[in-house]
Amino acid sequence: MTIAQAALTGALIGGLYALMATGLSVTWGVLRVINLAHFAMILLGAYLTYQLATSTGLDPILTVLITGPVLFVVGAAVQWAYDRLHVAEFTSLLVSFGLLIIAIQAVTLIWSADFLRMPGDINPYATESWTVGRFVFPVTTVLAFGLALVLVAALHLVLRRTFAGRGMRAIAQDRAVAAAFGVDHQRLSLVLGGVAGASAAAAGMVFALTNALSPTAAYEWFGIVFAVVILGGIGQVVGTFAAGVAVGVVSAVVSAAWSPATAPIVLFSAIVLALVLRPQGLFTLRSVVGAGR
Amino acid sequence: MQKRVRLAAALVALVAATAACSSRSDDSGSGSGSSDKPIVVGSTLSLTGIFAATGKIHQIAGQEYVDRLNKNGGLLGRQVQWKVLDDQSDQAKVGQLYEQLISQDKVDLVIGPYATPNILSAMAVAQRHNYVLPQHTAVLAPQLTYSCQFPAWSYGPRPNEFIPTQLFDAVASLPDAPKRIAVVTSQSGSAAFVTDGFGSDKTGMLTIAPQKGLQVVANVHYPPTTSDWAPIAAQVRAAKPDLVVNNGLGVDAVNLLQAMKQLNYRPPMMFALFPAPGPLLGLGDLSAGTLTTSLFQPDQAGKLGGDVQAIVDDFKTRATAAKLPYPVFETQAAASWNAWDILADGVKAAGSLDQQKICDSLHADGAQTTFSGKVTFDPADHNFWAGTETLAQIQGGKWVTVWPQDKAAAQLRGPAAA
Repeated sequence: MTIAQAALTGALIGGLYALMATGLSVTWGVLRVINLAHFAMILLGAYLTYQLATSTGLDPILTVLITGPVLFVVGAAVQWAYDRLHVAEFTSLLVSFGLLIIAIQAVTLIWSADFLRMPGDINPYATESWTVGRFVFPVTTVLAFGLALVLVAALHLVLRRTFAGRGMRAIAQDRAVAAAFGVDHQRLSLVLGGVAGASAAAAGMVFALTNALSPTAAYEWFGIVFAVVILGGIGQVVGTFAAGVAVGVVSAVVSAAWSPATAPIVLFSAIVLALVLRPQGLFTLRSVVGAGR
Repeated sequence: MQKRVRLAAALVALVAATAACSSRSDDSGSGSGSSDKPIVVGSTLSLTGIFAATGKIHQIAGQEYVDRLNKNGGLLGRQVQWKVLDDQSDQAKVGQLYEQLISQDKVDLVIGPYATPNILSAMAVAQRHNYVLPQHTAVLAPQLTYSCQFPAWSYGPRPNEFIPTQLFDAVASLPDAPKRIAVVTSQSGSAAFVTDGFGSDKTGMLTIAPQKGLQVVANVHYPPTTSDWAPIAAQVRAAKPDLVVNNGLGVDAVNLLQAMKQLNYRPPMMFALFPAPGPLLGLGDLSAGTLTTSLFQPDQAGKLGGDVQAIVDDFKTRATAAKLPYPVFETQAAASWNAWDILADGVKAAGSLDQQKICDSLHADGAQTTFSGKVTFDPADHNFWAGTETLAQIQGGKWVTVWPQDKAAAQLRGPAAA
């Protein structure tokens, strides 16, 4: 029972990993930008959620209606800057790391380095859950899973079924040829950067619901989020979701059955092995390799 | 004419040399107490990075101490200036910055940084230069081998024995004393020794519990970067303990309590080793009754007397102005204050800034601290003095000292009352 419950909550928390990873994955896969500033936007989303909820009494889940558009603009602006400065794939790693450091320091100056947590009367979701039979579904992880599912489904449909989506995939394959066929790279990249920013707002909101915030939390997300992005296949949104769930389940089951201390060893060993066997990503079909790039 | 020029040049050189000598003697002779220059105390603190939340507490407490010291005439008749550098919570930077403070800035005295790994780095540099190092928070005595480091917070020479014994003795005094415990341990070097012991000394929670008649029904170790607490919560819930011991740091206990509540489970009793005190209080009823180890809580101010209440109040004003979310003078601030007391007492007893004299006088006479009373330093125990810590419990929405009984401000509550 303990292991089954752990697997269930692991799958649900995998939704949060996917929510955090999807924006990073699509900007990397489509725009060729390894945007570490995405972690800064998640952090900002979490702190804005805290600020709005504690200062206005707004339901913390509803804060995403404000933080989503705000971080859409921030994400688009960051992408605009990358385009204007002709930041290449590898350089983006360094530039965006600098942006992340600046953002962490700014958050520290504004909100202090101390742990901040929404009190229970403002955020009742942190300890709420639904019980179905013998299983417990924590509200916050169900929310993360649901939001990730909606985001991934929407992005998948847009990328596959719309002209803009086909344009983005064309940009990923060959920017010059896509431009020759009338695809407006700059406009599409702004939109995609904005969507990534809005997804970071949702991830930050969910994170703030369950965790005490500290500026350096951003560093703690690196390992698991990159594992999800790479395992899911760079730029593959459905793969990213599947990888998030898989990582959540494996980590939780190993933690419950064995020990939380061994979970990172087992998880990252499995990821290394998976990537040796399937370098294109565990959840990428061979036929679509490159389609998202 | 040439002769005159040579003479003038020789005169200028002589004046310059004299000036240089007198300036040097000002530096080296600072121990005489005759100079008007301030005594400079150098240190680093983690003002940014992962330790910053606590680093800022030490910064505010330290500055409050220096201000009070200067108001009362300073040290050796000179004002004291504290030069504090930000080590960014980076252990590698700590050694480098202490080297800079001692070798280049030539500070008169040093005091420790915050957090055990940083203190260990600073200690190596202080030892190389034979500087006395009072330090605030490193309690793992076997690691702190430098004879001129002086701890300001001590659980005695064997903290891995002191902490479990004190906790188990306290809960054994309850009418419905716990029988089954779950031990949930962070793999951080600052916490794991309480569960597993240190090096070849395996004494800790796991060995002491059976001696005290307690059954360990769950023993879970987790990495400090754990983000998914549900599997740990599920294991604890399945084990049905009477007491959950979280030998962790920061918000670990908050995360664990929250994850257990999400699984519709609340442990009858909970102990958190080194928690961030504010966020636990923020849990409201969920954290009521939680126990922790404590050096000082404001409810002890009346018992300690003297300036303690004024110190506590001044800290609150300063911490509120600095926007600390939990502006209460408690364990961390008290440890900081003790460290400054030790430094000041050592200098006063030595009557000089000579490092060896300060070290010797502290070994010979100990130090009078505001929050732990008179403490003595035995190099055989790595200068760790007999522990004076208490247990504090969340009661009525605040931390209250509950153990030992002679220091208790309220009665220890068991599971039912909590």
